[in-house]
Amino acid sequence: MSGFFRRRPISSLLLILLLALLGWIWHERVALWAFPGIISAYTAKEYCSCRYVMNNDAEYCRGYVKQWLPTSGFVDDVASKQITVSGMGRSNSAVWIGERQGCRLQQ
Amino acid sequence: MLKGLPLIFLLLLSFVTRAEQWPTEQWPSGPVITGPALQALEQYAFAPRNDNTRQGIRTDALLVIRDGQLIYERYAGPTTAETPHLTWSISKSLMATVLGVAYGEGLFKLQDPVQKFYPPLKKYPTMTLADLLHWASGIDWQEDYEYAPLKSSVVAMLYTRGRADMGAFTVDHDSYAAPGQAFRYSSGDTNLLSAALKTMVGPNRYADYPWAALFEPLGIRRAVWETDATGTFVASSYAYLTARDLARVGLLMARDGRWGDRQLLPKDWVAFNREPFAHYRANQDAAVPGGHWWLNRAVDGAAQPWPDAPADTFAALGHWGQAMYVIPSENLVIVRYGDDRDGSYRHNELLKLALKTFAAEVQP
Repeated sequence: MSGFFRRRPISSLLLILLLALLGWIWHERVALWAFPGIISAYTAKEYCSCRYVMNNDAEYCRGYVKQWLPTSGFVDDVASKQITVSGMGRSNSAVWIGERQGCRLQQ
Repeated sequence: MLKGLPLIFLLLLSFVTRAEQWPTEQWPSGPVITGPALQALEQYAFAPRNDNTRQGIRTDALLVIRDGQLIYERYAGPTTAETPHLTWSISKSLMATVLGVAYGEGLFKLQDPVQKFYPPLKKYPTMTLADLLHWASGIDWQEDYEYAPLKSSVVAMLYTRGRADMGAFTVDHDSYAAPGQAFRYSSGDTNLLSAALKTMVGPNRYADYPWAALFEPLGIRRAVWETDATGTFVASSYAYLTARDLARVGLLMARDGRWGDRQLLPKDWVAFNREPFAHYRANQDAAVPGGHWWLNRAVDGAAQPWPDAPADTFAALGHWGQAMYVIPSENLVIVRYGDDRDGSYRHNELLKLALKTFAAEVQP
């Protein structure tokens, strides 16, 4: 085994790094799986509240929720006050519920 | 007789000016203040605004109450006097104030174990309501927003894994310290308080309780408080009030929990809010935690967090520059809403300039 390390130091190092990376991925699997959902959920929820709770105009609210990650497929269904947004391969919706309850992400 | 009349008027006048002012439907107006001190304050708070770069100090609203009268307000960006603005973590101090009413009703004691009101917390049987109010649950929580989204407990709670049931999501964390022993700012702690309130007041009263207990008695007509999917108020983050309405809560706190003739919050509750948490260590946070309010107190060998403001200043503070400062010794309540996306806003600078402008003139 130690002979392998001596003969192929670069490959050994890469192998160790790969194992460490896999270990980290396994350790953080729950957070990593949830991570791609953040941008679409954040955008849908905070846009909904900006537009329908704070009553700011649509153009301002689009700028207000802008983050460094891109989103796509933004739909604001004005009649039902429901916002659907996609980003990083996930989609999320938020809907305005009422005068006191404001907006909430849909499950 | 005629000679006596002016004296009577003078007496009446002094009585009127000394009578305590309270808002009714609207705030009574006080004297209009102008001058170079105000200019300096406005230059700081209302610097030219760029909604594309979103850099620098971006104040949405600045409102000042002195002696129960509105003496200054200005709005910027899309925000107006009618906008119920997102308060972010000011919501935490609002939940503490709602809990204060429940405390006055005798529904709980500070040293009660939280599991009495929120059974999932039997996992941490010694955790008390006072511990949660001190952000000292001992739960291993990560309170970062944009900068560490993968590890952030608060981002996961609001947007992904926690959003269905924020109380359960919080309990699901491990602990790093025994309850009550160490300060660590946590939105999860606040939402456990929100979940506990549901049992204290009962599920039937809960959905209306912030309005019935606090907003309606204060004449606040259009508060919004969003919930998770189980109906638990997102007490960490999602209350919305106009600047004028938030200032009503400030006046209540400035006057030791009294609203007109009614002691809405017990005095010992407000004293608890304003008492520094004994296990807080210097510079753990930007201000000193009391009972879910932030204090300008010199503790643990450190200087006051805001050296240019009186030591009795306390505040409710939120993400992106939301702030309400209460300064009882100056009879001042200052509401500042913002949309600061970088860290350039300074509480001490705003307080220094505002005090220079609005603190009562020294009597000759």
